[in-house]
Amino acid sequence: MSYDFNIESPQTADELLAVIAANQDKNFRFGAGGTDLLLELKRAPQENLTVVNLAQLKDPIFKSITKVAGGYRIGALVTAGEVLDHEEVKSEFYTLWEAAHNLASMQIRQVATVGGNLCTASPSGDIACALVALHARCEIINTKGELRSVSVADFSTGVRKTVIQKNEVLRSVVVPINSNPNLHSGFIKVGTRLSMECSVVSLAYHIQMDDNRTIRHAGIAIGAVAPTIKFTDSACAFLIGKSKLIDTEREEFAGLISDYASPISDVRASAWYREEVLFNISKGLME
Amino acid sequence: MNDELKYIGKPQPKFDAKERTTGRSVYGHDIELSGMLHGAILRTKYPCAEIISIDVSEAEQLAGVECVITAADIDANKISFKEDHPVLKSGLVSCIRDEIAAVAAETKEIAEQALKLIKVKYNERQGIYDPFESLEEEAVQINQWQPEDSPKNVSMTFEYEHGDLEEQKSKSKVIVKRRYHLQKMTHCCMGSSNITADYNPAEKKLTLYCGTQVPFLYQRDMAHCLKMDPSRIRVIQPVIGGGFGSKLDVNPFEPICAFLSMKTGRPVQILYSRYEEFLASPTRQSMAIDLTSGADENGRFTFREVEIIKDNGAYTSWGATTPFVMMQTFSSLYKMPACKLTSTAVYTNNPNAGSFRGYGNPQATFSVERNIDLLAEELGMDKSQIRKLNSNTPGEITGQGMHFRTCGLLEAMEIVAEKSNYESKKDMEQSGRYRRGIGLGSMLHVGGGAKIYRSDGCGTTLKLDPYGCLTIITGSSEIGQGSETVLAMIAMEEMGLSEDKIKIINSDTDVKPWDVGVHASRTSFIAGNSLLGAIGKMKEMISPRAAKLMGVEIQDLVYEKGLIRCAQSDVQIALDKVVRDLHFMPPHELAEVSYFYEPPSKYQDKGFKGDVSGNYAFAAQAIEVEVDTYTGNVKVLDVWVAQDVGKVLNPMGLQGQIEGGVVMGIGYGLTEETQMKDGYVLNPNFHNYKLLTASDVPEIHFYPVETNDPAGPYGAKGVAEAPLIPTAAAIANAVSNILGVEMNELPVTPERVLKAMKNKSELTERLV
Ligand SMILES: Cc1cc2nc3c(=O)[nH]c(=O)nc-3n(C[C@H](O)[C@H](O)[C@H](O)COP(=O)(O)OP(=O)(O)OC[C@H]3O[C@@H](n4cnc5c(N)ncnc54)[C@H](O)[C@@H]3O)c2cc1C
Repeated sequence: MSYDFNIESPQTADELLAVIAANQDKNFRFGAGGTDLLLELKRAPQENLTVVNLAQLKDPIFKSITKVAGGYRIGALVTAGEVLDHEEVKSEFYTLWEAAHNLASMQIRQVATVGGNLCTASPSGDIACALVALHARCEIINTKGELRSVSVADFSTGVRKTVIQKNEVLRSVVVPINSNPNLHSGFIKVGTRLSMECSVVSLAYHIQMDDNRTIRHAGIAIGAVAPTIKFTDSACAFLIGKSKLIDTEREEFAGLISDYASPISDVRASAWYREEVLFNISKGLME
Repeated sequence: MNDELKYIGKPQPKFDAKERTTGRSVYGHDIELSGMLHGAILRTKYPCAEIISIDVSEAEQLAGVECVITAADIDANKISFKEDHPVLKSGLVSCIRDEIAAVAAETKEIAEQALKLIKVKYNERQGIYDPFESLEEEAVQINQWQPEDSPKNVSMTFEYEHGDLEEQKSKSKVIVKRRYHLQKMTHCCMGSSNITADYNPAEKKLTLYCGTQVPFLYQRDMAHCLKMDPSRIRVIQPVIGGGFGSKLDVNPFEPICAFLSMKTGRPVQILYSRYEEFLASPTRQSMAIDLTSGADENGRFTFREVEIIKDNGAYTSWGATTPFVMMQTFSSLYKMPACKLTSTAVYTNNPNAGSFRGYGNPQATFSVERNIDLLAEELGMDKSQIRKLNSNTPGEITGQGMHFRTCGLLEAMEIVAEKSNYESKKDMEQSGRYRRGIGLGSMLHVGGGAKIYRSDGCGTTLKLDPYGCLTIITGSSEIGQGSETVLAMIAMEEMGLSEDKIKIINSDTDVKPWDVGVHASRTSFIAGNSLLGAIGKMKEMISPRAAKLMGVEIQDLVYEKGLIRCAQSDVQIALDKVVRDLHFMPPHELAEVSYFYEPPSKYQDKGFKGDVSGNYAFAAQAIEVEVDTYTGNVKVLDVWVAQDVGKVLNPMGLQGQIEGGVVMGIGYGLTEETQMKDGYVLNPNFHNYKLLTASDVPEIHFYPVETNDPAGPYGAKGVAEAPLIPTAAAIANAVSNILGVEMNELPVTPERVLKAMKNKSELTERLV
């Protein structure tokens, strides 16, 4: 056993696709910030592993946030720190900004990437949770240069599982622009510490209201309470057309969100606690 | 001598700050000796099992492996406070940290690979993980070497009593009885455990580079384990990355490393990974405390009756003696007419507990301060008033025989009440999601060492060189707490020298004089007094010669700026010149002196009565918190700390101890726990062991109380453990006040808060 692995560091998108193609019959993994990957390799070292290091890639689509028709494209290699520096992300998609803001620590945020957060497919991925609430779509590219698009909500198929095939890599995500002027957007992270904390329960919300403050669009996603991050369709539908909720409606709304949860007990918290808290913060969302 | 102090009481950056911040400090991990091998330890797979066989043949054959040892290969005495701990286990393993075999190899990687090749066959057994179960009649005996004279599975008991308990009970208007549960916690030293052992077969000498807090006791204990002459063991302490009590015992990895070096004739180094550190370092004792206490109709405390069951783990560390400190709090924090305590340390198949900053006192204080709040509630009294009413006072000799010559407790309580605006916050209206409130806690701790060993002293040797530079060779140890700095400041003050004229040597048992170790908040007090004594002797040597050379009277001499001058005239002489004169002129003497300071404290009698410390430190804290009733999260907003430190020596170092201690106390109160299930550690990493981070640190407002204790150097008392001791209690009191619940278990996790709220609302529903 050893912690050794080969490393390949493509510089351009073409080189990257060529490296993926050349490694099809080998054991390889992508590494972006490495903040999940290295921990995983330490826990379960692998023989004859090649790490395809994405950190040196120069490609602007992978690396930047740009405005495109109908939305914003965020490259897979954009770091949490770069998300925080982006003014429009903050004003338009506050839930994403706040998720990035609460991720790990200042140091980790400088290297942890949006793509890594999605591809690691953890039920407690904070950026992933916000992107689900935002109805974002993943842009996946294969060795032939073909692009396909999958909604972030369908991207993860289970704990540490995604729809990505061996000849594919996540290139970017597209977040649709807001269609309404007023926003109620944010990210609630429940844990015991303010930094370096893995969500015990998380809730991303992005609610859009028209000029009369009537809710026209709602995106609410919950994390760490099921094997994958859940988009809470029925709770979102419940809000459409309303502007304020009365007490009983708030409880009903919280119940609808809780229906999507099937939490487990682990070293961080019990299932009981997760359910209780999810209900409470859901109730608090529309106070 | 307090008239015009130039250095004492003024902020002084740490003496070793430059070395540390520029990466030049040599930690144990940085040591590399020529020909050095790397050691690794194979630990058991099960917390409780019979070892059927150990096969090391494959590991021995791996290229690069120099030596593999098991219990069969070594001739060792058992270690630990009760000599109940074999360093390598055969026959039975009794907890998940148990060491079965060890390897020395050319690289760390090869050593770790070799561990994987060792084949151990186990017969798993049902372990006992709850001390109350260990005490049941049908329980099996956990440690076959347990003390013969104590009942099955009992490692140590303490019994203490003063006053007339029955009489005091009859005087009580209210009596409160509660059980408190306190958790295990780990020191989380940033520098993980390490040792480099270098055995020289030609000279039969062993040099150990290690982070012990008690180098001279360690030398003796290691020698006993290794069956060696203690004088042939030299202990060198490299820069230590955190102690907090974790390095008070000899732990098995240390003799194991020595054996590997003795077997191979080469230096061997063992460095713990963080995982190993969490798994294999001794924890703060978890315990259940049953505390009954009373107060009369005026709110005066009447008695405390205490029963403690402590989880000792599989072996007995020094930490088993924590009741020694705990009983001081039960018997003497606040005026206490009667007190009775029994404490039982019980073997379980958990990793063994050890000593930890505060030494049982955070646990004891938690129970005492929670009970006080409950007594006040039953009496309908103000919680600050009841504490002040019962405050200790200067001159008091407590039921345990401790003599509080100075005592700043009342003043400390008044300060935190005033500064925190306690009056306006104590009964805040509680509604809505976020609720705020305040809690109080006080503490008493030894401030002038603690005589639990036959000597609590420290030696100092001083050398003035011909260029006027002073070398302080002190028995005391620096573990990051800043003792070197305080000692340098004392020398600067008394000898009139600048910082660059002072050297400190404190890390080599072949060189330094004896000291009992760095613990019990004792170093500034004991080593400071020892240094003052040595300086006195040095001046007895220098001053007569200087006076003669200057033609003035001795009593007129002033040591200042590297000179000795006359207070009455402008005659002066350079200090180095006097040193050279002593050396070169008959009768030819070097300016070198030695001094040993033994504090005036007493070794206590069999009933634990006596004035155990040179002086006593007191503190009060008020802590304001906000509870999120949706998540159960408790946010500490502000901490007000007033502490009787005797006299501030280095305000910067003191502030560091206070802030560090308070943060440790908040961790103890809210987040930190070594979680165990069936003998396994569930959270052996920083991800799930919730050490607080910088973002969690609240405002800490510190107010030193100076009582100028006659025993302390310049009037100082020990300060280092105190700030952690009442913190968890004050937090739990605050949360209990806010929610109208009882938080009697630590840590106060969000889950426990929500549960407590839920139980309360279910109870009220049932009552309605
Ligand atoms: C101390 C600490 C604290 C943390 N706290 C948080 C937290 O608060 N919230 C949170 O959500 N996460 C947290 N994490 C997890 C981690 O930092 C994030 O998930 C981060 O976003 C991962 O990004 P990365 O670039 O480091 O991923 P990497 O580790 O480089 O990769 C993660 C996984 O994704 C794959 N991958 C990466 N990029 C691509 C791509 N473009 N296409 C296909 N596959 C790819 C890798 O092969 C790997 O399997 C924490 C981690 C640590 C170590």
